[in-house]
Amino acid sequence: MSQALEAKVEPEVVLEWIKKIGSDSSSTVPLLQAVQSQYGYLPRAAMDLIVQNTDITGRQVYGVATFYSQFRLKPVGRHIIKICHGTACHVSGADRLNTSLRHMLNIADEEQDTAENGSYTIEQVACIGCCSQAPVMVISDEVSGNLTGAAAQRALKKHAKKSEEIVANL
Amino acid sequence: MDANNLNVIVGEGTCGIAAGSKEVIEAFRKYAPEINIRTVGCVGMCHQEVITEIHDNNGNRYIYGQVTKKTVPQIIKFHKGEGEPLEEHLIYSPEKQDSHKWQYLGHQTRIALRNVGYLDPTSISDYQKRDGYKAIKKIVAEMSPDQVIEEIKISSIRGRGGAGFPTHVKWNFARKSEGDVKYLICNGDEGDPGAFMDRSLLEGDPHNIIEGMMIAAYAIGAARGYAYIRAEYPLAVKNFGKAIKDAHELGVLGENIQGSSFSFDIKIKEGAGAFVCGEETALIASIEGDRGMPRFKPPFPAVKGLFGKPTIINNVETLANLPWIINNGGAAYAAYGTEDSKGTKVFALAGAIKKGGLVEVPMGTKIRDVLEDIGGGPSSGKPFKAVQLGGPSGGCIPESLFDTTIEYAAINATGAIMGSGGMIVMDGSTCMVDLAKYFLSFTQLESCGKCTFCRIGTLRMRELLTKICDGEAEMSDLDALDELTEQITKASLCGLGQTAPNPVATTLKYFRSEYEAHIKDRRCPAGVCKSLITHTIIPADCIGCSLCQIQCPVGAITGEKKVKGSYTIIQAKCINCGMCFEVCNSKAIQVK
Ligand SMILES: Cc1cc2nc3c(=O)[nH]c(=O)nc-3n(C[C@H](O)[C@H](O)[C@H](O)COP(=O)(O)O)c2cc1C
Ligand code: FES
Repeated sequence: MSQALEAKVEPEVVLEWIKKIGSDSSSTVPLLQAVQSQYGYLPRAAMDLIVQNTDITGRQVYGVATFYSQFRLKPVGRHIIKICHGTACHVSGADRLNTSLRHMLNIADEEQDTAENGSYTIEQVACIGCCSQAPVMVISDEVSGNLTGAAAQRALKKHAKKSEEIVANL
Repeated sequence: MDANNLNVIVGEGTCGIAAGSKEVIEAFRKYAPEINIRTVGCVGMCHQEVITEIHDNNGNRYIYGQVTKKTVPQIIKFHKGEGEPLEEHLIYSPEKQDSHKWQYLGHQTRIALRNVGYLDPTSISDYQKRDGYKAIKKIVAEMSPDQVIEEIKISSIRGRGGAGFPTHVKWNFARKSEGDVKYLICNGDEGDPGAFMDRSLLEGDPHNIIEGMMIAAYAIGAARGYAYIRAEYPLAVKNFGKAIKDAHELGVLGENIQGSSFSFDIKIKEGAGAFVCGEETALIASIEGDRGMPRFKPPFPAVKGLFGKPTIINNVETLANLPWIINNGGAAYAAYGTEDSKGTKVFALAGAIKKGGLVEVPMGTKIRDVLEDIGGGPSSGKPFKAVQLGGPSGGCIPESLFDTTIEYAAINATGAIMGSGGMIVMDGSTCMVDLAKYFLSFTQLESCGKCTFCRIGTLRMRELLTKICDGEAEMSDLDALDELTEQITKASLCGLGQTAPNPVATTLKYFRSEYEAHIKDRRCPAGVCKSLITHTIIPADCIGCSLCQIQCPVGAITGEKKVKGSYTIIQAKCINCGMCFEVCNSKAIQVK
């Protein structure tokens, strides 16, 4: 993973969230959600700040961060592609969306999910509630449905053009 | 005709957006900037998205389906008095009230979904115009909590979140529990993949859910509520949040509601993507800020729940029915349905079905009627094979049992469960062993890991299913699956583990021959399991277009452009991803 994707954490920002959201143990999930919505993942420095400035223990922060599938501990690309792997999408060919987009982004290693140039990260998610339009994916909050592998590639191409990203296998 | 008086209503649920509603609205603004545009939630006719409704100045109503930015100019033209109506997109008009497309809604009985698609979810006055907040006003003025519980008892409603526990019984426990602080939680986790009624309700009619929560809270004596909404539903979080704020500002929600001594407030808690958090005790742990681990019951949450206080957790759809029941009386609700299952139930149709979407029908309707009369039959032309009901906790009902009536006991007798109402319809292109493997991978991944039977047992099951799909299994492996089914069902701590083997048990029961084909013949009849299939190109059908070669992600296809029949697949390189099959327009790719 390229070093450039590591986020720089400003302590003031994290302290501000703590003030707003709370510092008791029931604030653990919302605090981590705030961190992730800012940085795209949970930088170590931000988690440390939470532990130092709240009643939440390190065990709890780390336990929660690793339990829920929403949280990521690794930096992500500039844009996130979520491919639904719910039942309807599975039986309608979600796998093909995955294969075609990984091919386009040149992510061959199964352990990897981010393109080499840091442009896109592919993520598998559970049902996004659009099952009647399966298979479904979301690129940077834009939902599209009734996709084939080729249609998913077209959608990515369009998005890449709009956001000036370079995609390896266009 | 004066376009100033045209009112355009565009469906903007998540599914409308997925189908392109933003572009449609943009087109209306561009071609007719003078018209009024309103957005509503998803009416449930997802197969017709983007849906656009036009009210003209004569008070006439027109509904169009599958609208794109390209069809917009013609729609506007017609309503300005020029040109012809767009017949093939017209679902409903004053002249066309019985169109077969309209039958989709005409066949339904909508109680929980009564407002979705009719009102703007961001407008509290829209909700008030449709009897909104009338029920809560009535109960604080005229009814004691016990009378409310009695009315719910008369309605005989059972929880719609899966287990089907009688709502009034649960409420009574909490009402009688000691303690001055009690909580009411709305379960909007909707973890069941394939179900989306809760999303549609939270997004499209949030005030109805808020009112439902208030009714439940009043009945049990709770002053605080939480709405636990899953992370994958950002629009639901947004609309629900706005609804809470608006209800506060209007004084509908908060301190001393309607001048009574009843106070109630709601906080949203966003889920973080864990299926098990839909389970009551895990959900509570999650709100408290911990890992979403279930715990042993009893004590039940109704006695000792959130922060140790008596707590009731109700599903979104359950709550959506409550204001209607109070306004119309419990008996009116109980008039629908059967002896053991009263009222209506919402189903989410998806998969190999022509008209996917949301359907609300009285209990007691046959599965076949839902899939054929409303759903319009299979989408592919191939016959139905099965319907998966109840998600990871449920099972597959084969086509031969489609005359089963939808009621708790009858569905349970097939080995499936009612669950939250997701119906994934399947035809011959779904492999039942692969499907069972899919569900086991799901539960295995989602198991919180606390108990061994669920953590290790589901892993062993998945390994066996993988062996079968890879063509490396023996017949004795089926016995091992049976044995694991029994043990995991009996020994798991929570519903996740207890029901995890169900998809395997039902597919084994009804589709055993498919398992045997994988094991004995090393063959996948549906053409899905990658280790057992090959892709080949039929030279006679190949037109030499090169599409397959361009699409192949591993460069396994060679041939000469424009030379018919020249393309071939190098089997040693092929990963059976199916991309070539998908893009070939001349059906030259064979999967065997
Ligand atoms: C593993 C598991 C997951 C569940 N997921 C949900 C869910 O996503 N939504 C829901 O309403 N109920 C879910 N339930 C059922 C709830 O535990 C609970 O029974 C329900 O919310 C009660 O509401 P009701 O009585 O109104 O149905 C789940 C149960 C289990 C065991
Ligand atoms: S299964 Fe993919 S959106 Fe529901």
